[in-house]
Amino acid sequence: MADYERRNSGHRGVVVVVGASAAIEDYDRRPQRRRYEEPLFVQVRRQLLTIAESAARRVEDDVVGIAKSVAENYDDEELRDTMINISLDLVLEQPMKIPFVAATALVAHNIKPELGAELLQKAVTALQKYIDSGSWREVKLLIRFLGCLQPLFEGDGIFPLLEELFARAVDLQTASSEDLLGMELVKIILFTIPYVMSSSATGFEAHASALLEKTDIIASTPHALVDLVNTFSPEENESAAGPSLISVLQTQLQNEASQGWELKCLPRPWKDALEAEGDEQKPFDVVTKVAFPQINVPNPVPYGPRALFPEVYLSVYANQEVDTVPSISDIASSLLRDALVDTINLLDFNRVATAKYLIDVDCYYTRHTFVKRATPFDRMRDMAGDNKAWKPEDVAVDAVFSQLFQLPTSEHKLVYYHALLTECCKIAPAAIAPSLGRAIRFLYNNVETMDLELSNRFLDWFAHHLSNFGFTWKWSEWVEDLERPAIHPKMAFILGALDKEIRLSFAQRIKGTLPEQYLPLITESKEKDTPEFKYLSEGMCDGSPPRLTTTSTFPVTNSSTTATPYSKEGQELMQLIRKKAGDDELQPVIASIEEQAQSLGVDDPKVPSTDALMTSICFVGSKSLSHVLSCIERNKDRLLAIGAASEKARCQIITSVMEYWADQPGIAINIVDKLLNYTIISPLSVLEWALIEHIEAGAILSKSHIYEMISATVGKVTNRMRQIVAARTQKGLYEPQLSVLDETLSRERVGMQALFKFIEDSLVSVAAGSNDELMERGNGSGDMPEDLILRQWGRRWLRVFRRKAAVEEAFISDALLNATPVGTIAPVQEEVVDTVADGDIHIADADGP
Amino acid sequence: MSLLAVNTVDRLDRPSAYYVGKNKRRRHNDREEEERERVDPMAKLHHATTLYVGNLYVLNGILSPAVDKPLTHPRSFYTTEEQIHELFAKCGEIKRLVMGLDRFNKTPCGFCFVEYYTHQDALDCLKYVGGTKLDERIIRTDLDPGFEEGRQYGRGKSGGQVRDEYREEYDPGRGGYGRAYDEQRQREEEQYGEGR
Repeated sequence: MADYERRNSGHRGVVVVVGASAAIEDYDRRPQRRRYEEPLFVQVRRQLLTIAESAARRVEDDVVGIAKSVAENYDDEELRDTMINISLDLVLEQPMKIPFVAATALVAHNIKPELGAELLQKAVTALQKYIDSGSWREVKLLIRFLGCLQPLFEGDGIFPLLEELFARAVDLQTASSEDLLGMELVKIILFTIPYVMSSSATGFEAHASALLEKTDIIASTPHALVDLVNTFSPEENESAAGPSLISVLQTQLQNEASQGWELKCLPRPWKDALEAEGDEQKPFDVVTKVAFPQINVPNPVPYGPRALFPEVYLSVYANQEVDTVPSISDIASSLLRDALVDTINLLDFNRVATAKYLIDVDCYYTRHTFVKRATPFDRMRDMAGDNKAWKPEDVAVDAVFSQLFQLPTSEHKLVYYHALLTECCKIAPAAIAPSLGRAIRFLYNNVETMDLELSNRFLDWFAHHLSNFGFTWKWSEWVEDLERPAIHPKMAFILGALDKEIRLSFAQRIKGTLPEQYLPLITESKEKDTPEFKYLSEGMCDGSPPRLTTTSTFPVTNSSTTATPYSKEGQELMQLIRKKAGDDELQPVIASIEEQAQSLGVDDPKVPSTDALMTSICFVGSKSLSHVLSCIERNKDRLLAIGAASEKARCQIITSVMEYWADQPGIAINIVDKLLNYTIISPLSVLEWALIEHIEAGAILSKSHIYEMISATVGKVTNRMRQIVAARTQKGLYEPQLSVLDETLSRERVGMQALFKFIEDSLVSVAAGSNDELMERGNGSGDMPEDLILRQWGRRWLRVFRRKAAVEEAFISDALLNATPVGTIAPVQEEVVDTVADGDIHIADADGP
Repeated sequence: MSLLAVNTVDRLDRPSAYYVGKNKRRRHNDREEEERERVDPMAKLHHATTLYVGNLYVLNGILSPAVDKPLTHPRSFYTTEEQIHELFAKCGEIKRLVMGLDRFNKTPCGFCFVEYYTHQDALDCLKYVGGTKLDERIIRTDLDPGFEEGRQYGRGKSGGQVRDEYREEYDPGRGGYGRAYDEQRQREEEQYGEGR
């Protein structure tokens, strides 16, 4: 679309130059550009694509204008196709425009029924295709389009289709109490009703009420998984835990039914046109009605490619002193959210265009739905009570956050929602920035009880967002929280955010953006690019100052006065690694450390030797990630052998990395990640390192980089598992490969379950306050204020990884339902061999029936 | 998930005009290559997992320290691998990161190649990261047929990127004026001083 606009403004550009500056004209001896007559189809295409976008034009006129142009030139095939295709494209990509597209279709039908029939035919073909493939969002949008066309249909119009969908939902719900697909169908029905009721069709109140009565039982029964995907765990914050989207919608619709389907926010272009035009012309009055097209809803309906989960309604503008977004009791909240969310997720391929639609949200709803753009919050306060109108920026931003904070996973990569918010902020900084500010405050104030996965998403977004806007934030308003202990969720948020900012920039720069009170948080050692090499202790080192250890995240054994044990060997090792020496040169030094350790009575002499080796690798490779990677690469075999020989030494590899980069944890966890790829360390060793060796009574759970590391590690395991599942469930797979893959799958599945079990067991002790270290703290009661915080961290971690385990298990079980059973022999057919040899791994449906 | 053939708005995950144009130019020059290139340039990108990343922050050696970054910090000389990693890993695991280097000094000169494991991650990066800021500069991403040894070096006369030779605007985050432009400007200034 941007393309058309550009071309268009190009035309206008020429006109302006010629008309406006006579002086230039004298010099411009180029022949005047020939007047270019835009073909009608290009004009219609542009009008249709930009329908309702301009507040300066009356959309009703455009609706009638487009319909007339096409209907009156019905013989122009290109024009006809353009109109039909663009209409459906808009329905499927820009849902906020559906009522206007439908209005155009309605007028077109009235002038030229053949055109209407053709458009309808194409819509129904598409709808059938999407129903058959289980693409339920597309189904919802096309049914909405048909719902807007209700006045066009004979008899009950769309209602029998809705009834049929409902019958399928009932079947699914009866078959399983855990059913989500049936819920999805009910959602489609509920989101269709308001558009039918706001169309010019009349006399369907009874139909709608009857349907609502039936859907009530399904929509209002809370699904078992709702708590799992709630923004707030009911355990942590009962009052903030939101209800499911579908139950909210059901209640809103019932309210609306009792108020005569006012549906204030939905546009009714037919009505406005009617009032304006007087009695002579009635472009929207349907003369020839048609039968509702035949649509086949298979039984049972198919699952789609995306796993279904219940959705909850989240608003970051809830409970403000003045409402800036519709409250949860208002149907507008659901209707606006639904259309915005679909727009956001459908248009991920052009965040600039999406941002523009979000900013323009007020163009697509009735005039009094919103206050003027960029109305300050304080003004809203003054206006409160006058009329109920919402702040368009808040409504738009709220929708983006709802997707950024979608559990268990967002539809697109999280960075898309980051980029989208950045783009909104770039387009309309004065309007959007204050809205984001209030959202940040809401999230920060709730950071203690929010789902841990989500508070980490918030952290990641916050730092990334600031990096796009010069790292400016009113840090002063959180100064009081600096008094809190480091493990307090708010303090942990601040520390985590600053670390992430530094990772995207550098310490000195970030320091410059902070109020004085924050400066102690960015220690001198954080500003160093190359941390000290601990084996270079005083007297022996090349003049570099002793390392400051007091502020280090992890206890460091050396002090500035005594030399680190094995310092001579440590230095030798480092020099050898720097020289890229071979294994035979390293061995004697390592042996020397181990001998000394043995004589000192060290449990596992491999631990100090590994420490010297890994610390040397980190130091020599400290210049950049590629440096450390090539260092690791060169010593890969030795490192692999260490892990195989001693569990403790393997754990030491991680310890050495984490300690060396203690002040720049981003680099540390990055190296750990690469070590996992080299299989030098195992996922379980990372978990053991964090959740057993360094649990510190649970204090480690407050560190955002540890959460990041553990999530990434678990993510590696589950991703691999999903790849195996995909390989196992690909079509056309036969023995003997079937058995081989099945065996791998079973083995890995057990491994994954063991991993989750390990996490569960380690966290339960923190959450329950029965962790040994926790018990030993303070008075031993485990009930000191800090103990309560630690237990809360335990509970929040537990929730995240329990959910992850459940989601992955469900994924595997569902996928396997569709898989070819073990023992299936290939039928004697040539083509089958081809599909196997093709080797393409297709990710199987996430939710097979 | 849309199954449309044409979208209602442009897609950001397409190769840039630069890439398309570069291949067109080459076609005009070489007739023999023409046959091969006609099918090649776009096809090469069908499974591309690599991105060229440009417009990174870099402080070239030759200029005055009139920049907004303090010079005492090594990180203030150029955007580092770690910073790039931090941002680009948001689109997927990074397989390889190759910094663009000055041909002579072997120091970063303002571009890099980021290789992902999957084509989709590379496309997502075009959509979500291209045109956003890293180290407070708006970076440019372009789909790339793949890194080859030698491509990490700047092709400019003085070792850096060609674009840094002839830039006529002052860009403090890229070493001031273009190097060639700057030389000419200084020459002119000296000559002016001599009373010409």
